Amino acid sequence: MRVLQKGLIVTQAGDAFREGHVDADGFRIRYMEAGQGPPFVHLHGAGGLRLTRGHDLLSRQFRVIAFEMPGFGASPENDRSRDMPELAATMATATDALGLDQFNLMGTSFGGKTALWLALLQPDRVQALVLEAPAAIRPHGSRPPAGSPEEMARRLFAHPERLAPMPLPDPAVQARQARLTARLRGPDRDADLEGRLPGLVVPTLVLFGTVDRVIPPEMGHFYKELMPNCHLVFVYDAGHAISTDRPEAFVEVVADFIERREAFVISRTDTVIHP
Amino acid sequence: MKVSYFETARYRAPRQLPAQWPVPPAAYDRDAGTQSYHGMVERMQFVEKLGFDWISVSEHHYSPQRLTPNPVVSAAYLAGYAQNIKIAVLGPIVSQSNPVQVAEELAMLDNMLPGRLVVGMLRGITGEYLTYGLNPAEARERTSEAMELVLKAWTEPQPFGWQGRHFRFRTVAVWPRPRQQPHPPTYALGTSRESCEFAARHHLGLGVSYAPFGVIAKATRFYRDACAQCGWQPAPEHVIYRANILISETDTEAEALLDEQRRARQAFPLRAQVRDALLELDIRNVAGEARTPNVGSVLPTNFVGSPDTIVEQIKCCREQSGVGVIDLMFQIPGSADLGFLMRSLELFGTKVLPRIRDV
Amino acid sequence: MQVSYFETARYRVPPAIPAEWPVPPGAYDPETGAEAYQGMVDRVQFVEELGFDWVSLSEHHYSPRILTPNIAVSGSYIAARSKRIKIAVLGPIVSQSNPVQVAEEMAMLDTLSNGRLVFGMLRGTTNEYLTFDLNPAEARERTTEGMELILKAWTEPQPFGWQGRHYQFRTVSVWPRPLQQPLPPTYSLGTSRESCEFAARHHIGLGVSFAPFEIVAKSTRYYREQCRHYGWEPAAEQMIYRANILLADTDEEAHELLEQQRRGAAPFPMRAGVREALLKLDQRNVAGEARSPNVGGVLPTSFYGGPDTVVAQIRRCRDEVGVGVLDLAFQNPGAPDTGRLMRSLELFAEKVLPRIREV
Repeated sequence: MRVLQKGLIVTQAGDAFREGHVDADGFRIRYMEAGQGPPFVHLHGAGGLRLTRGHDLLSRQFRVIAFEMPGFGASPENDRSRDMPELAATMATATDALGLDQFNLMGTSFGGKTALWLALLQPDRVQALVLEAPAAIRPHGSRPPAGSPEEMARRLFAHPERLAPMPLPDPAVQARQARLTARLRGPDRDADLEGRLPGLVVPTLVLFGTVDRVIPPEMGHFYKELMPNCHLVFVYDAGHAISTDRPEAFVEVVADFIERREAFVISRTDTVIHP
Repeated sequence: MKVSYFETARYRAPRQLPAQWPVPPAAYDRDAGTQSYHGMVERMQFVEKLGFDWISVSEHHYSPQRLTPNPVVSAAYLAGYAQNIKIAVLGPIVSQSNPVQVAEELAMLDNMLPGRLVVGMLRGITGEYLTYGLNPAEARERTSEAMELVLKAWTEPQPFGWQGRHFRFRTVAVWPRPRQQPHPPTYALGTSRESCEFAARHHLGLGVSYAPFGVIAKATRFYRDACAQCGWQPAPEHVIYRANILISETDTEAEALLDEQRRARQAFPLRAQVRDALLELDIRNVAGEARTPNVGSVLPTNFVGSPDTIVEQIKCCREQSGVGVIDLMFQIPGSADLGFLMRSLELFGTKVLPRIRDV
Repeated sequence: MQVSYFETARYRVPPAIPAEWPVPPGAYDPETGAEAYQGMVDRVQFVEELGFDWVSLSEHHYSPRILTPNIAVSGSYIAARSKRIKIAVLGPIVSQSNPVQVAEEMAMLDTLSNGRLVFGMLRGTTNEYLTFDLNPAEARERTTEGMELILKAWTEPQPFGWQGRHYQFRTVSVWPRPLQQPLPPTYSLGTSRESCEFAARHHIGLGVSFAPFEIVAKSTRYYREQCRHYGWEPAAEQMIYRANILLADTDEEAHELLEQQRRGAAPFPMRAGVREALLKLDQRNVAGEARSPNVGGVLPTSFYGGPDTVVAQIRRCRDEVGVGVLDLAFQNPGAPDTGRLMRSLELFAEKVLPRIREV
């Protein structure tokens, strides 16, 4: 994806990422990988895998592995995963296949719910959990973003007019992804999931942009109330796609949380102006 | 010996609150909040009648126990009702404030009182670092620079700029000035060598708190030596000792109540991992000797017993450490029973206060 | 029509004091300072009796003419010394404050005043940029972000972090909460398009000031359009117009006094070089139309004359501008004579107030 920065088009986001594949549960699962350091697994949202400047920045400190979940992108239609826990189990198997023992895990929007289920299924493997605008708890009547590229952009980004036009998605791919996510996204309030969250002790960071037009940031406090080790952060002037809208602000707090977990509340900012 | 009553704007929660800090604001009860400020005024008027010399307020954030994130605001409210009692703001956490703003607020207050303000400047307890994101490693330096800037802002007659390490201003020209000249009686709060030296250098008082008399005495001795080196002698009134007190009719009763209290919950409990991380980062000392910071656990009770016993303890404290002002936090064992508090105040006011005036 | 009395805690400036801002604090006289705050209380109690709905305060620094650098402090002092009148803080300069601290202080004030707080958020007048070294280019953004953070700090039920452009916190968890729910009456202060849009988006009121009716009417019109765009209609009381008033027994007298005043000193006069530089940097607009900022100069008087004339002007204001609250500054700050001020207030209460209630 091309990124505009102060009016100049700079390098493509994700340029340094290399493609790979693993097999899990009979699926051939594509992933993009870059960077060295502690493993950082990312599960994308309903629009599929899209590398952002956020990924680039994260890859400076972590070994970032961004999966393309089965049924998304160019992969064949997925009519086997029956529900979100199953999809999560498949992704857990994929991390096994990559030889990962423990890892940090981030889920975006729809992928946030997948990540929650993965952490519930295999809590001992997830060192820290990051939920970027998670779609696991939604107001009643919540609708996923749809429509023309302009309509989608308006819902996803805080300032769509500042972004370079994006390549038009393949309508067949869009249709496949929409069918899959409709089947797997589950109810707006998922009693089964919410009933289990109080037992999830993995340190969790929940982020919402203050101008999220897909999932209102007022959903954030539910996670904090339900989970015993959960921290809520608002990213000012970011929309639903936080890591696209404000990648530096996003990565700063995410990286700090991965490194220090709940101790990330202690400042280590240097405020010396001159020695 | 002067006596100050430490008023905390006690909030009496109608329901059990989660123990861990920060407590979600969703749990806040408005009526209880209003009551806590009214109660503050009632208690001030009560201790004023009993003859206490000062009433003091402190700064705490995000806390359901003490509703005074800005102590100058609560002090200004008290100032509207106070007749002749002094109001001690002990103290603004200067390491995480804008020092010029602190200087302005306190100057306003000194004019409202007028002339009955006492100021203490605080580095801040360990848990407070989390409030506004203060880097613990910088706390000491920021405090020293901030205190100097506050003093300068009160006393420099011309507008000036400030090129600090942590604070930078092109223009400082505080109006109003404090009414008391050159500034209100000011104390550096803390037992550390740095506090003592700063106080000695700037002719300020020293405020110490909560530790046993022997430990306090180390700090006050160090302070007096430092003052001597700077060419002056502090009076007893230059040293404040903030302490917990549990007073009852008899010693036995007091001891029993103390036990009850020890079983009550912690003061500002933090998640274990955060507390451990802070303990590692927060370097504290008493007059140069290292000491572990208190991160949110219960503080000791320094005066316990019947009125007679307490009088003796106060005399002992004075002998050992030379303090001239005790700033007392009256303990309430177990629950938030304000009746007990008022009875304690009465007991102290009638049976202890008259006997310690000349201590 | 509701009426607010704008109180500035005026300090009786002797003519010898240098005019240029910042005024050297060395020129401060403590007696005069204490009188300023006493006068503030006297006037508040006076207008409360006369039937004014609100008393309003503003934030200004480094000046003898308005001794309220921290509004929460003067607000809570006033709260203690008044019973029913609303206390309108119009407003803290959000761009140069710690928004979380503002949220905390205002929540305290609303609670200890028993829910009498009216809250306005201000970007700040141009000269104020120099107080705490605020970069004028950042003022707009800092204000917007600060206002959002304050509103979030009052309404978010759980502790949260904030990754802003200008403000960053890991933990925000404000105790107490405001007494009035879900918010005290809240206003965005400023005629600009940004201010109107923010107010409309967040369902809060708008405050405009000092400019003639035709100009502020542009803002109120734009604000109402924006509100419709967001699906709601503001009530008249959700629009405030702060203005200067010169009320005398007759029109002739008023005209004469106005002439006298026009020849008087500006409230915040600056060195020419500084003023020029600020004018270039400070971008202002009225509902999107550029306008030059007022850098410390004299402000127009929108209401002047005898009672009948002023009543007519108020009616015209309501028709043209649509505001439901008038926040009246009875005399330019700095004028030493307060006798005339009190007479004006009485005259207003007697001969104007009863006739404009249903306007």
